[in-house]
Amino acid sequence: MNRVALHDPVDVLVVGAGIGGAAFSKSLAESLPSLRILCLERGGWLDPSALPASRPKWQRAILGPWAASPNMRLKSGAPSASADYPIDDSASAIKPLMWSGVGGSTINWAAHFPRLHPSDFRTRSLDGVGSDWPFGYFDLEPYYERNDAQMGVSGLAGDPAYPPKPARAMPPLPIGRLGMAAARGFDRMGWHWWPVDAAVNSIAHDGRAGCNHCGPCLIGCVNRAKSSVDVTYWPKAINNGVELRDRCIVQEIVIEGARATSVRYRDGAGGEHLQRASYIVVAGNGIGTARLLMASGVKSPALGRNLMFHPAAYVRGMFAEELDGPVGPVGCAIYSHEFYETDERRGFKRGIHLQVTRENALLVQAMRMQPAWGAEAQRRLREEFRHSIVVLVQAEDFPESHNRVTLADRIESDGLPGVRLEYRLSDHSRRSLDFGIERADEVLRAAGAHRIEKLPLAPVTGWHLLGTARMGNDPATSVTDGRGRCHGVANLIVADGSLFPTVGAVNPGSTIGALALKVAEDLVREIA
Amino acid sequence: MTPAFLAAVVDTLLPGEASSPDGRIALPSGTAAGVDLGPYREAARPVLQAIADAAGDPQAFVDLGGAGRRGILQAVQREAAEEFARLLALLLPDYYESAQVLRAFGWRTEPPQPLGHDVLAMDEATRRKLERVRLSGQRWRG
Repeated sequence: MNRVALHDPVDVLVVGAGIGGAAFSKSLAESLPSLRILCLERGGWLDPSALPASRPKWQRAILGPWAASPNMRLKSGAPSASADYPIDDSASAIKPLMWSGVGGSTINWAAHFPRLHPSDFRTRSLDGVGSDWPFGYFDLEPYYERNDAQMGVSGLAGDPAYPPKPARAMPPLPIGRLGMAAARGFDRMGWHWWPVDAAVNSIAHDGRAGCNHCGPCLIGCVNRAKSSVDVTYWPKAINNGVELRDRCIVQEIVIEGARATSVRYRDGAGGEHLQRASYIVVAGNGIGTARLLMASGVKSPALGRNLMFHPAAYVRGMFAEELDGPVGPVGCAIYSHEFYETDERRGFKRGIHLQVTRENALLVQAMRMQPAWGAEAQRRLREEFRHSIVVLVQAEDFPESHNRVTLADRIESDGLPGVRLEYRLSDHSRRSLDFGIERADEVLRAAGAHRIEKLPLAPVTGWHLLGTARMGNDPATSVTDGRGRCHGVANLIVADGSLFPTVGAVNPGSTIGALALKVAEDLVREIA
Repeated sequence: MTPAFLAAVVDTLLPGEASSPDGRIALPSGTAAGVDLGPYREAARPVLQAIADAAGDPQAFVDLGGAGRRGILQAVQREAAEEFARLLALLLPDYYESAQVLRAFGWRTEPPQPLGHDVLAMDEATRRKLERVRLSGQRWRG
């Protein structure tokens, strides 16, 4: 029998070093410096010198050790810096994407950094769908501001799609030929558009370089211009006294009666540990958090259910004029919220986010030509490369109980039960996407596209893992209260996107960070 | 699986361009770009065998004209889509990362870093378009 190392108790133990865990830890340590705060992270720190973007054969990394999908990384067999676990996604229309390491999925995100709209917090009251959040946009607004300040945001204040925001810390990223061509289309249609808020330095800021637009943000940022939390929150959190133990995989949260008392974890060498804590905070994303809570015996009818992504479609317009090609930042040019708020004449409630993104690396675009090959694939690639604009259509997912994370019978090599996703695209999402695809077609043609290609559902877009430990007042339909406390286990707290009762139609990173700061402050009020 | 057979497979999948479109550099064929199936022979053996069998034998595939080879590959792709996709996944990185192919697409051969790329900032005409949006009034509701 292995010996279990017992550690001195800590006040607060955080599981997961992604944006939720990072924001929570840094904020708590700042407010209550006397607390002993420990974060356990299953993966390791990224070695910037090992990033592929400085190597000649960098493109193939996107298909292997730097694929966005953990399943693809595992399947490639190549050593990855992400401590992945397999996810059975065979019953999911959308495939999950993530990174498991210090920084979480901010390591390989595009850093598009929009906020939710005020109406996103009140979908039940306003539109009779989804659920209201326990608090509103303006309750979260101060935390959005603090999160923006910590992450560093490039952008432009004044967007009428949002309540007024203060001047962004840095000017917007250059939108390039691609952005200006797309803006021409939106302008001709008379539609809203705006340069994105991006968690990317457009100029040197906070000790980090400005972006040099190298392109492949999703394989890690060599010059640290992209705000992943390993370079924003974590250095400051550690300076504030937070201890971060990496390569430590939590196997179980030990719950005795109505209290979480400790976690059992395995270190990188296979050693077993027991760590006691007064509060345990889980921030492992909508899959990892649900997996750990279920594996630990947390009982809640809503746990693992209401899994939400953001269903996505791509509409690609081909242009005669030369555009930018695969320069960066890849996810950040302009967006439109012309159709974000409900208009029931469209045949669905809530709205869509249209985002103009940049081209991918040549190899990635070539791989997408399949099943075509030969001269036909090469002709299409010729037409497209440096001559295309992609509009990403992102729909609001509604919470649906049958969309869920469940545990499998087998135990994976990380010591935890296997995890399985069940997710069906709803009729509502299909109608939203179809509407958005038609609008994207219109705007691309207005911009001058001579040919349009449509991908009605892009399956490998499951970045946003949300809703599986949702907040609410009723323990029958929610996992936590409005402060992220698990119903029935009050010192067990969730601080990530699992908490979202609804998801709007925009990327959640900004809201996850703000929410984690709020959850931390709620705890400060209790402890102080 | 002779070198000639492997080369014929590569060049049927990656034929390149006979002439230069719009004055650009013509795309080389797979073998001209240095793509070699040899190192992947074992990994791709089932699909390569299927191609040879469909043609009769490896030399018969080599002896076919372009249309005949394409017909064989299309048939194998229909029958064994996954294995065929794996074959492409082996070949495409070597091709699309080769300097000749990058140049033919008008792209540079150096990696993204440390050089980065220049991207144009918003011009004055686009700023004026944005100003129209800014003045268009509140769009959010709450």
